[in-house]
Amino acid sequence: MTVFVGIDIGSLETKVVLLENSELLDFRVNRSTFDFKRVGNEMFNDLLERNNLKKSDVYVMSTGYGRNSIDIADDRITEITAHARGAQYFFPDVHSVIDIGGQDSKAIVISKKSGNVIDFQMNDKCAAGTGRFIEVMAGALEVPIQNIGELALNSNNPASISSTCTVFAESEVISLFAKGTKKEDIAAGIHKSIARRVGGMAKRIGVSPLLVFCGGVAKNIAVKKFLEQELGFEIMSPISNGQSNAQLTGAIGAALIASDQSNS
Amino acid sequence: MDNLELLSEYTLFLKEEKQKGKKVVAFISHDNIPEELLDAAGFIPLRLMFAGNDELMDASHDYLSPSTCAFAQSCIGLFSTKPNHFRFLDLVDYFIVSNHCVSDICASEIISKYFNIPRLNFYLSYTKNENSLKYFKFELLDFKDQLEKIIGIEIKNEALMDSIKKYNNFKKKLLEFNNLNIRGSEKLRILQKAILYGPIFLPELESYTLKFSENQIQNSKDLKDVIITGCSVFLNDYLIELIEEAGGNVISFDTWIGNNYYYQIFEETVINLTKNPFDLLVRRFENNLYGDHSVPNFLENKVSQIEKICQNYLEKTGKKLRIINHIIKFCDHISLMSAYLKEQLQEKGFPVLNLERDYSRANRGQLSTRIEAFLEMV
Ligand code: SF4
Repeated sequence: MTVFVGIDIGSLETKVVLLENSELLDFRVNRSTFDFKRVGNEMFNDLLERNNLKKSDVYVMSTGYGRNSIDIADDRITEITAHARGAQYFFPDVHSVIDIGGQDSKAIVISKKSGNVIDFQMNDKCAAGTGRFIEVMAGALEVPIQNIGELALNSNNPASISSTCTVFAESEVISLFAKGTKKEDIAAGIHKSIARRVGGMAKRIGVSPLLVFCGGVAKNIAVKKFLEQELGFEIMSPISNGQSNAQLTGAIGAALIASDQSNS
Repeated sequence: MDNLELLSEYTLFLKEEKQKGKKVVAFISHDNIPEELLDAAGFIPLRLMFAGNDELMDASHDYLSPSTCAFAQSCIGLFSTKPNHFRFLDLVDYFIVSNHCVSDICASEIISKYFNIPRLNFYLSYTKNENSLKYFKFELLDFKDQLEKIIGIEIKNEALMDSIKKYNNFKKKLLEFNNLNIRGSEKLRILQKAILYGPIFLPELESYTLKFSENQIQNSKDLKDVIITGCSVFLNDYLIELIEEAGGNVISFDTWIGNNYYYQIFEETVINLTKNPFDLLVRRFENNLYGDHSVPNFLENKVSQIEKICQNYLEKTGKKLRIINHIIKFCDHISLMSAYLKEQLQEKGFPVLNLERDYSRANRGQLSTRIEAFLEMV
């Protein structure tokens, strides 16, 4: 078999990729909704149809938060292993990965020698340091989520957001806003707060260059910039054909692992 | 038998014992309470060794801050809400207030004070020098006095010696059972039941040992073997399920209701040569160097003990053990050392997962990802 499908069912978005001979043929990204099993199945069928394939032509590896609930998958793998493998697809010499998704964030260290994951750390169940945090704060600032990163980069004087808890941070943002603090300064404060939290977690397990930043939040340029400041080195984003593939890294990794397994 | 049945059965057991005139003494389950003294005085020791859940933790917030360890929170929650299967908590006559850690002392004081259970005190020193051992002996004698005041008669040294022998034999059998190569969930289920009941469970334990020794795992090549260290996996916890769902198998429990308990065994000769049973108990406390209630060398001792277990296992089976350091949220004893423990064991080439969690249901998915990823990693 040469065609492999990776399905990454995240808490906010589902990503499906189709790989042939390790080449990305096609992909789909959609909201997971509460019914992520149905969404995953529909996206999978759509992808097969668009590429004139049948289920029996492909091997499916699921990953992500909903990896166990999707019955079309032939096997499953955690998003930690999948992201590490996906990051290697874009940067073969990768040593560390930071993945910030909708509901969680992870830092992963990969052995330079074996290419295997040797350590990882995840945030605990609280939403601080995740995409959800940005979403809530964007809501509080009444700024579309896709613009909040750029807005933050316009700041010359980032506000200080001291609460790590999303609920408290939201009240802090509202009160800063009420005091007349500029939106861009608050936005910068929000991004710095995420970078501090995720950067701290990543430093604890000894991340170092070459570090790949992936997950949905990696598309946010301000989080990337502040993370670089926090870590003290440049971080890389998975890009191909001028497009960010940050969100697809887990799904690509899952498909690659399926392919690795079939080759071994 | 599932855990709910076990708890109902345990309620019946305690009721029967109380009908015989016995009193029940509860305490938070760590590894230094002298159960033998309770036994010699005719009391039934009841270890609080039950995992929590959201409701139990929430209920404890009326008494203590949510940043108290999740286990201590749950112990308070049990007395505050008395869930159906925990009816036996109504049968507790005394509660031991002890200082294994700050959460232990706070929770035990609260349980005694707010749920009107007369308290017994048993305090521990943290160090193992001449003075602290003297202090430990004073505490033992003081504890004996407290018990004697209740029962109105003296606890004879012979009776205490008999209890020490009884528990010693029980722990040997627990260790024997622990060494069987069986599924971790099965092992834990029997060990938990045995430790909850105490030596009275010995005949059943022996028959389980016999039964399982004929049904040991023959070919465990596909299982990823794990040792759990840190905090205990208490009764009703789903942690072991998650490990097994991820393809792991726990072969050893290096915790309060695991090795820390049944490694504390006396050689027969030591028992026979020691006249005073209190000296035996002091000696045991002195030798309990692997528990977290032991300074200043807890970390070094723990690392060397785990290393030894892993090496023995490698020699015996040719398989490498993975180490899960189970950290109940806000358990300072285990979490403070966890980064160093991980670093030192990793330096020696052992894979370690520091698994911090509370008892909330929302944690389950994330815990299972962390466990699966750890087992995939190695
Ligand atoms: S803090 Fe740790 S040692 Fe203390 S009661 Fe809680 S779990 Fe036990």
